[in-house]
Amino acid sequence: MEIVQIVGLGFIATLLILVIRSKKPEIAVQLSLVLAIIIFLMVLDKISMVITLIRDLADKANVSQLYLNTILKIIGIAYITEFGAQVCRDAGEGAVAGKIEFAGKVLVLVLAIPIIALVLETIVKLLP
Amino acid sequence: MGLDILFKIAGVGILISVIHTALKQAGKEDMAQLCTLAGFAIVLLWVVQLLSQLFTTVQSVFKLF
Repeated sequence: MEIVQIVGLGFIATLLILVIRSKKPEIAVQLSLVLAIIIFLMVLDKISMVITLIRDLADKANVSQLYLNTILKIIGIAYITEFGAQVCRDAGEGAVAGKIEFAGKVLVLVLAIPIIALVLETIVKLLP
Repeated sequence: MGLDILFKIAGVGILISVIHTALKQAGKEDMAQLCTLAGFAIVLLWVVQLLSQLFTTVQSVFKLF
């Protein structure tokens, strides 16, 4: 029952943040950041199990590790970007969050370029 | 480990606000400001350590090297 633990953690953190925000908003932001980190770390263990399963399946299906690694990297970048943007947005800095998301999108695009090139190459080969 | 650091940070926050108020009442405005800064730095130290742990975990899980 990990979810009960996480919800309880969230409630306690919310109450603490409510108490502190009126006096010291900067500490409240750090508190919410720590909560986000803790929940992320809890969930990440589960995600790693799922990823090992996906890796095994890809090995069995003879899918190249290149594609899988690219997809995993993109997912990781998306997770970190989302995390950073949410923290910034929570602190009321929507502009900074927008910049972080922009950087994440560009990095994902850069990672996807080899696969896009490969697809285009294949299409060109198929065309007479 | 999760609840531990949450309560630590909340405790530091409440303590800082109390000390800040007391110092302000005593007329030591600059000292109050300095105390706020010190508390913020202490908490930031913990948060940054936790953040580095998170990032290394994410990097090892998603093979982001």
